Amino acid sequence: MIAWLGPIGDVLSSSTMYQSMMRFAIVLAFAAVGEWVAERAGTLNISVEGMLIGGAFTGGVVFTSTDNVMLGLIAGAAGGAVIAFVQANLSHRLITDQFVVGLTLNLLVMGLAFFLDDHLELNTSVATVWEIPLLSDFPLIGRALFGQPWPMYLIVPVVPLAWWLVFRTRWGLEVRSSGENPQAADVSGIRVNLRRRQAIVFAGLCSGLGGAVLVLGQISVSRWESGHVGLKGIVAIAAVIFGGWTLRGTLLGCLLFGYFFALQQTLPVLGYRINSQLASALPYAVALAVTAVFATRTRQPRSLAQPFVRGLT
Amino acid sequence: MNEATVDDPGGDTARVAPLVELQQVTKRYGAVVACRDVDLTLRAGEVHGVLGENGAGKSTLMKMLIGLVQPDEGRILVEGSPRSIQDPQVASALGVGMVHQHFSLVEPLTVWENVLLGETVRLDQARARRLVAEIGEHYGLQVDPDARIVDLSAGLRQRVELIKCLRRNPRIVILDEPTSVLTPAESEQLFHTLREVVAREGRAVALVSHKLAEILHASDVVTIMRQGRVVEHRPTGDATAASLARAMVGREVSLRGEAAALGALDDLDTPVAEGAQGVDQRPVMLRLSEVTLRRHGVAVLDGLSLEVRAGEVLGIAGVEGNGQRELGDLLSSLLPLDAGTVEVDGGRVRCGRAGALARAGVAVIPEDRHDSGCVLDMSVAENLVLDRSHLVARSGVIDRAALRRRALELMAEFEILAAGPDAPLRSLSGGNQQRVVLARELSHRPKVLVAAQPTRGLDVGAIEYMSARIRRAADDGIAVVLISTELEEILHLSDRIVVMSRGSVIGGMTRAEATAERLGLLLGGVAA
Amino acid sequence: MSESVAEDRRRDLITVIALYALCIGVALAASAVLVAVTGGPWRSVVSALIDGSLRKPGRWGQTLSEAAPLLIVALGAIIAGRSGLVNIGQEGQVLVGAACMALVATRGSGPLTLLVALLVGALAGAVWSAIAAVLKFGRKVPEVITTLLLVFVASQVTGYLLTRQSLLLDRDPNRPNRTQTSGQLDPETRLPVIRVFGNEFPISVVIGVLLAIGCAFVLNRMVWGFKLRMVGQNPRTAQRAGVSVVVAGSLALAVGGGLAGLTGGLMLAGGVANYRYTTGFSSNVGWEGLLVALVARNRPLVAIPIAVIFGALRTGSGFLASTGVGREIVDIVRALLVLALLAPSAFMFLRERRRASTAATSRT
Repeated sequence: MIAWLGPIGDVLSSSTMYQSMMRFAIVLAFAAVGEWVAERAGTLNISVEGMLIGGAFTGGVVFTSTDNVMLGLIAGAAGGAVIAFVQANLSHRLITDQFVVGLTLNLLVMGLAFFLDDHLELNTSVATVWEIPLLSDFPLIGRALFGQPWPMYLIVPVVPLAWWLVFRTRWGLEVRSSGENPQAADVSGIRVNLRRRQAIVFAGLCSGLGGAVLVLGQISVSRWESGHVGLKGIVAIAAVIFGGWTLRGTLLGCLLFGYFFALQQTLPVLGYRINSQLASALPYAVALAVTAVFATRTRQPRSLAQPFVRGLT
Repeated sequence: MNEATVDDPGGDTARVAPLVELQQVTKRYGAVVACRDVDLTLRAGEVHGVLGENGAGKSTLMKMLIGLVQPDEGRILVEGSPRSIQDPQVASALGVGMVHQHFSLVEPLTVWENVLLGETVRLDQARARRLVAEIGEHYGLQVDPDARIVDLSAGLRQRVELIKCLRRNPRIVILDEPTSVLTPAESEQLFHTLREVVAREGRAVALVSHKLAEILHASDVVTIMRQGRVVEHRPTGDATAASLARAMVGREVSLRGEAAALGALDDLDTPVAEGAQGVDQRPVMLRLSEVTLRRHGVAVLDGLSLEVRAGEVLGIAGVEGNGQRELGDLLSSLLPLDAGTVEVDGGRVRCGRAGALARAGVAVIPEDRHDSGCVLDMSVAENLVLDRSHLVARSGVIDRAALRRRALELMAEFEILAAGPDAPLRSLSGGNQQRVVLARELSHRPKVLVAAQPTRGLDVGAIEYMSARIRRAADDGIAVVLISTELEEILHLSDRIVVMSRGSVIGGMTRAEATAERLGLLLGGVAA
Repeated sequence: MSESVAEDRRRDLITVIALYALCIGVALAASAVLVAVTGGPWRSVVSALIDGSLRKPGRWGQTLSEAAPLLIVALGAIIAGRSGLVNIGQEGQVLVGAACMALVATRGSGPLTLLVALLVGALAGAVWSAIAAVLKFGRKVPEVITTLLLVFVASQVTGYLLTRQSLLLDRDPNRPNRTQTSGQLDPETRLPVIRVFGNEFPISVVIGVLLAIGCAFVLNRMVWGFKLRMVGQNPRTAQRAGVSVVVAGSLALAVGGGLAGLTGGLMLAGGVANYRYTTGFSSNVGWEGLLVALVARNRPLVAIPIAVIFGALRTGSGFLASTGVGREIVDIVRALLVLALLAPSAFMFLRERRRASTAATSRT
């Protein structure tokens, strides 16, 4: 028992751990917040994975050619949006099964990214780290919260924006109605499938931005490889479930999963030998366990993952 | 062509310009003509009743006015100009509003949020709440703006629907079968409100219904539709129940016999000394004791107790939303019990286990056959054998010939019209689909038959057939439970009647003792 | 009336064919553009693909060997799919099945060991997908997410097995490169091979075809299949008719996982990676098999030719090295083709549904 306290203590007192955790959590959060909006509209997009990769890739490409981080970020958001656009139109205009489309899009994007990887040398940036004076000197978590590369801070406006969109605008009201009772919404004059498509594109923008932030906000890796994204899109969906389809819960979920991703990276640094495969599996196993515990307790949007066609039984 | 006799009721109405005119409107769905050359005129200050049995085309017509469906031929004029109503938003902009019965309120949202659905201006919570209060005050439709729809009763929900419709200030208000979820008292209140709306503010109201009594009672002029056409149009004052019935159905009608189907409640009022004899000696086939079922913390069935004997028809009356659906689901093995017992022929049954009640001998014609009564994408033959597939199988393999034979037999016995036993169920009409469900359920010689809203959405012929079949089942010794929100149906078929309110039985009487008034009180929640 | 229906049907058929042709054309054109844009010779790409899958000697046998695992995985996906569940974790189930099969097969020898090993592999796959079933029916977690997460867990866990000699790592001290592979299967523990016309393929091809026929029979003619289809098309009606959705669904998921696990074992015994279990053993067989099922619209017999086409893409891609174009182009073509093949049928299905049910409701 005492033997465990050592490692746990080390982990809890390592500021590298917290920094790493925040980085993972923030990237997850971009995708998760976007998907949260999309799921409130009643859609379930496993192509979030593809949106992340697409954003990472486009961001990297544009950065490599322009050397401008800002442009890279914008390009990333656009890249994610393009993929979201395809998903949205295939699933909510042509009513093709959204899981099939999502899966295929993921494979397509991964194929494209790996294919083009060889042809384009992507540099990743070491984006300027913004260290907020005084606050970043706070012990343990100071640098984690206030000493990140600047693209990471973009999450700070994105979250309240998403909240405001969903709860304080007419668009958000219509999105929520489309997710709970699309028949009622339709009959009341709301264009259900349009709102769903728009929500998915929003998810694409957020996830694409997240992918670009991942690429451009990195500290350690110099050459980008598309494999770095590693199924984080799916974990983002798990975070939404964990959070009970609330924004606060989703963010908590991102922190939780971020922690386990960070654990895998940090333990070796701290000098602990842990089997790399088992450590890699940990975040996903935790995600599994977590969804198992939390899925029943919560109110999922009544029409989640059910396509809507007017007049069909 | 049109058999319409457009009476000119006199000077007054002729001078009032029509608000909405439908001219020779036609709508086809593939080979089926839902509306054919329909002419209809709605004028300000008038309640225009649109009467017709289910399937006559009334709903399709209204859907065209509200923008959910586009006409294939003909035109729609709003205040004199031809318009194309593409979707509900356009309809609303033109001043056409509809009070829906189902499918228009989003449950988890609040009243004020629902009232704002479909508008295009910025969301303003304070304004919305004020609006709800004002309109509620004005029309006598008070309701709490911050309440969640999920917590409201059916009557209150309809108030929200009305407010939602009226806040858009529509010149034309369409009500589609509004009284199915209301107690008689609430229906009165509704019609009173309508009169206000019409008289005080000069709006036009279209009241769509399949119930004679309602139209006679509440409308100023009536248009009768049959099989997609307009067959008659006259001021309601000139019409009698008999003439309306004849126009609706197209033949001479004995009101006594068809009253149930036509919603002519008044004629059913006088109790008839009929009913099963000597039923009290027969064994109890179904007994529910203190059955309780909770959903989301609310008891939807609350200490429900009832008994049904072999050979009798027990009618469970009640306004929709008082637990009837859950009762039907419970008896279909779709929901487990939280407390209480269910006994079939003396033996306790474990509810919630797949097929438990069916195995015990309980047949069910569910409220929504598409939801749990059949599989639309399977063939007629397959649907006829859903729960007894071992009857047509040998060692796990389905015998195609036996399946077909059985299907043909049942199709003949129950007069099911279909392209063949292999036709997908989806291609059958509603009445025939219902017959398939009936055939399957009765073919197992059940001990108990539960019929939940068995004639909803059917035309008069189909209603008569189902009613006759239900009566026959009772005559054959089956214990029949009839769950219905249509008082006419209950009075027509039941030997004994109980009333359900808020998940339990609040009163009962024999058919001989039943009058519309007594039942009306119970339905309103006033215990007998 | 019936004439116009027949005319409608003819018009529909033409529309369908036209739509398919258009979509496939667009997919192929997009791929060609992609190749050209990145400086590759797309004509020789096509040529290389055809060479690798059919033309060159011994290649079509290879194509069949690659098609068999795809087919069997697809059958598993079809069974799960027909019950209304979305199982997308085949890749993980194949890995788990292959790894467990290897655990047994590397420790013994002979046909009996082979049979037991295959059984173990199938069981392992079934258990792996059963986890998702438990989470779905016990905790209401959508299986689309759990099966997907399980893929990643599977790849890590099976990778771990290759790091310990006590588990899977090759114990032979004479192995030159200490890469992570398992021991090699004895010649007696391998699948028999069929040799015909200069081509060879393991009997897993025959097994696959037989399973496909069996699957079609079970689904369409047997009571169990009938009940399964009921659950898939209307779970509430099924529940009322005495078919427990939980039992039927879990069984369907387990069978799906079992078939995927069996595939893993058959792959190993059929010669993949030279009869050794290695990292990345499943080489996307799980994903592609799933796509076969989706393209075949969950029909077992249709899956056979589709599996062959996908198999051809796999073997063809082996010849791409000479053209200088990356192998991923095949993944891209495949994904584009799947999307292209899905769109038209979704469109037609929608049209048909709308026609039929509005006709019925308007007639009530």
